[in-house]
Amino acid sequence: MARNRLITRRVARWVDERTGSAKFARTALGKVFPDHWSFLIGEIALYSLVVLLATGVYLTFFFDPSVEEVVYQGSYGPLQGVTMSQAYRSALDISFDVRAGLVMRQMHHWAALLFLAAIVVHLMRIFFTGAFRRPRELNWMVGVTLLILAIFNGFAGYSLLDDQLSGTGLRIAYSITLSIPLAGTWLASLLFGGEFPGPDIINRLYVIHILLLPTAIVGLLVVHLGLVVRHKHTQFGGRGRTEKNVVGEPVWPRFAFKSIGLLLCTAAMNAALGGLAQINPVWLYGPYKLSNVSSASQPDWYMAWLDGALRVFPGWETRLAGYEIPGPFYAGVLLASITFALLYLWPFLEAKFTSDAVEHHLLDRPRNRPVRTSMGAATLTFYALLTLSGSTDVLATTFGLSVNVVLVACRVALIVVPPLIALTTYRLCRELQLRDEDAGLAPPERPRIRWELLRIWEWRGRRQEEQEVLARDDTGTGASTAVD
Amino acid sequence: MTVASEPTPTRASAPTRPRRRRRLLPLLGCVAGAAAVVVLAAPSDAAPHEGVATQSQPTDAELVAQGRTLYQTSCVSCHGDEGQGLDAPDGALRGPSLETTGEAGAFFQLSTGRMPLADPSRPPEAKEPAFSPSQIDALVAYVGSLGDGPALPDVDLASGDLSEGGELYRQSCQACHSATGAGGALSYGRAAPSLSTVTPLQIGAAMRAGPGQMPRFGTDIIDDQDLDSIARYVTYLEDPNDAGGLDLGRLGPIPEGMMAWVGGLGTLLFAAYFMGFRRANTPRVDPIPPGEEAEASTGDTNPATAATGGTTPPEPARDPTPEDPS
Amino acid sequence: MSPDEAEQGTTGNGADRGCLGCPGASGAEPPRSAGATESERAELAVASGFLVSTAAAIALAVVYWSGGQTQLEGLFLATALAGLGIGFILWSKRFMPHAPVVEARHPIASSEAEVDAFREEFQQGENILTRRKLLVRSAGAAVTALGVALLFPIRSLGPRPGKGLKTTPFTAGVYIVTANNARVRPGDINLNGVLTVFPEVPQNPDAEGEDVMPANQADAATLLIRPNEPVNPVEGREGWTQNGVIAYSKICTHVGCPVGLYEADDHLLLCPCHQSTFDVLDGAEVLFGPAGRPLPQLPLGLDDEGYLVADGDFSSPTGPGFWDRDR
Repeated sequence: MARNRLITRRVARWVDERTGSAKFARTALGKVFPDHWSFLIGEIALYSLVVLLATGVYLTFFFDPSVEEVVYQGSYGPLQGVTMSQAYRSALDISFDVRAGLVMRQMHHWAALLFLAAIVVHLMRIFFTGAFRRPRELNWMVGVTLLILAIFNGFAGYSLLDDQLSGTGLRIAYSITLSIPLAGTWLASLLFGGEFPGPDIINRLYVIHILLLPTAIVGLLVVHLGLVVRHKHTQFGGRGRTEKNVVGEPVWPRFAFKSIGLLLCTAAMNAALGGLAQINPVWLYGPYKLSNVSSASQPDWYMAWLDGALRVFPGWETRLAGYEIPGPFYAGVLLASITFALLYLWPFLEAKFTSDAVEHHLLDRPRNRPVRTSMGAATLTFYALLTLSGSTDVLATTFGLSVNVVLVACRVALIVVPPLIALTTYRLCRELQLRDEDAGLAPPERPRIRWELLRIWEWRGRRQEEQEVLARDDTGTGASTAVD
Repeated sequence: MTVASEPTPTRASAPTRPRRRRRLLPLLGCVAGAAAVVVLAAPSDAAPHEGVATQSQPTDAELVAQGRTLYQTSCVSCHGDEGQGLDAPDGALRGPSLETTGEAGAFFQLSTGRMPLADPSRPPEAKEPAFSPSQIDALVAYVGSLGDGPALPDVDLASGDLSEGGELYRQSCQACHSATGAGGALSYGRAAPSLSTVTPLQIGAAMRAGPGQMPRFGTDIIDDQDLDSIARYVTYLEDPNDAGGLDLGRLGPIPEGMMAWVGGLGTLLFAAYFMGFRRANTPRVDPIPPGEEAEASTGDTNPATAATGGTTPPEPARDPTPEDPS
Repeated sequence: MSPDEAEQGTTGNGADRGCLGCPGASGAEPPRSAGATESERAELAVASGFLVSTAAAIALAVVYWSGGQTQLEGLFLATALAGLGIGFILWSKRFMPHAPVVEARHPIASSEAEVDAFREEFQQGENILTRRKLLVRSAGAAVTALGVALLFPIRSLGPRPGKGLKTTPFTAGVYIVTANNARVRPGDINLNGVLTVFPEVPQNPDAEGEDVMPANQADAATLLIRPNEPVNPVEGREGWTQNGVIAYSKICTHVGCPVGLYEADDHLLLCPCHQSTFDVLDGAEVLFGPAGRPLPQLPLGLDDEGYLVADGDFSSPTGPGFWDRDR
């Protein structure tokens, strides 16, 4: 033990003499992390990416992105003798003939779903607490870019396998590209190397999936985290927490151990899902054939909102002097562009409309920004409903409904429900603010989940009770009861 | 798949006919069983096999008569006394004509319990068959004698090719029944049923007869060999190789996404919540850095909390020169 | 470090007292023998987590060595990772100081003096540069030209979008074949039947010969349907059916999924991707869903031997819309 330590010390000293790393390392160890649990959501995304990279590298050793046709002779009986592309065959080989290949493949796919889900929840945390405000606008934009890249990389990933489902998805992606006015046909041809299916698309997607986008994601992630270090973390208000400090725990040792623990738990969740829950069983879908299609062809969840938009958008084709703008352009391109443009611009829009030009390091409680909170809730509802619209046929068969009725209901809901959610959220925020006032609580307080507030029907009575109590002792002991 | 350019193998009659009877034999009642043996003894070798216009085999008159009796009590109110179909008083179709239904259609409808219908205004649904197997056999024989509908095919899983069946299934069946046989939505509230509980003979009968909205697959498009292969693949899909674990309903990315959100991220968020959770007996330290008291209290709008904050010794500021200035 | 700790846990307390590494175990443990303090119990819990992890890792190796089994691999990998992770978390929560630490924030922006100094230094250099206007401009031109020139190789990524989007290999007299390269007679499609077909094209486009195959082109897939009711022909397409068989493009006009779902009784074609519904009897008009145009129809003819041939190309370009589709 002692000798070990001596060697470690000498190595560290050697490195330090050549890099000056000790000073930097000390700074890193001392970095303070606020200990609110919601700050860990982004870490779940980060650690999902670690799992993605680890399993992905393993998969590249076995995957062959070629569309050359071969006859399958592997160990999955029901496809023996079937003509298929090399890519699909190697996916089958990974699933059935590479030992531990299937668990790696499934972990990779589950980790992709978890990565995107964690990014979205992380984005929600940042949005609703106002963590995107000055000076963090730039980092917000980096984060939105990461979201977009992650979506594209997820799509590229599941399109590689050249099974029936992924081919159908690629066909739709091709058609959406084609629908872009003026440049669509050129873009589609350059992307696919010709008319669909094109000889090159799998190979190109492979390069995009394992090289271009991962490099971009990791590079931007470094920027993302570097900016977090530069800005230092935001924090919720509370005793001793100000705009001029960060209160929390230092990286070493407590936070580092917790964080490594979370890394391991995230990996464990992916391993459990990857081993126990079947995902994308491509052997049941069969090789991609141009003229085949299966019912219930859906994209992965993070693309489902686009698929839903394609479903609910009416069949409008715009004609301009003999030229045509097809409906999928609005649903597939314009909507996505507006969505992400709004996301990029939100910090600036909010700063402009609230005339807020100062730095913020203390987070908002969502209730104290009712307009932002209600708009965010409405937007989330809109995209959740679009995601739901992407599964109209499965909803219809699962619940014994008419797919037409479900679709029309989705159309109506998309228009009616988000404003209702906005109003409700606004009222809810106001209600919570009133409660705070009644309780004499100072607004910036360390937030915690108040499960008891789910009992909406008790609100009115409770508030009256509290007001009566307050009225009874005029001394106003609100401050002392405010401890959570 | 065979088209007319190739001769269709006619394996329909002699060797395979008894197989089906053997399948049903243990289920038949004594009288009907005896009748079936007669059929076995005299199968027709010369059954023409052109398109759908296949005349059913000569069936035992007794079986037909028995079927006719059953028909008169259970079917006649909708399909008419000679299977010609009936209109309701308001002009809507009450029951379609059975002339083109054939043995295949009758067997499918009766053995899956879709017929008889309790309420003709609602679409038929699979349920427990209302008739015993021997009664179904008799009714099938009777309906087969009504017109020139498709004969009940012979389905022999052993002679089917699983891979070939898969190819054909993906070509002709998965658009409605989904690649995994889970079924799917059709328009206006109809649905293609799940294939998880069908028997091979029902598969064959459905393909030949095209019940309801299902297209009819005649012998020129799907020959008997193909039919065996498809039946074999569909039978495989009833319990396919779920090498990956829980099948999640085999409905594709939707349940997978729900699993990722609820099972995966939900659990991890709870883990994070637990990690950040502070035990109730942990002493709460309210840090006020030395030299920053004044600012600290301005940051806090409530003087009471700032005052209580001073009761515990504050941790000294950790990092006076925080970052590399470069 | 963790193996050391784990060993200490084993030797010091004995780890055979049941599962303490389970999540949440530290908070809600059953009552224990009198001597054990809370700290010892917590230590035991952490150590058990590590021990469970060790055992699971060994089990994982054994499973892999003996042939592999996906579910067991996942289970043991998850247990190994979770045991280690939960151990770490409990360790940090129970045995590491958690007094809050305060770090002061410093202004992010550089000070005015620094900005001024930078501006001054930069401008000095800039002045040197801008004195040579010719050099600046010519260098700018060179960089721009090089940048533009480097864009050109993008053009190699794909051919110029040609007529292929608007036409299919179907022309008058082209045979209609199945996926298995068999020609089709109208009688092959029975009443209520449907068949997916393709144009027959020579295998080698340069040498027209006997070797033919179904066109492997996405927008050429066609459906032959024989509805059990007479179709109501679109004006100008009266002679386009043969013996009750009608041919529509199988490629949805929405985003190009194969419209594989034929509802025979109601004569509807339904796209399984986005539920566009087309009326087969009425020129494949859109009844429901996001498609904007009916499915294009293929004129059918017969050759001398009674095989189906195309009588021309589709009534309009097949597949999804694009900018200059009508041009």
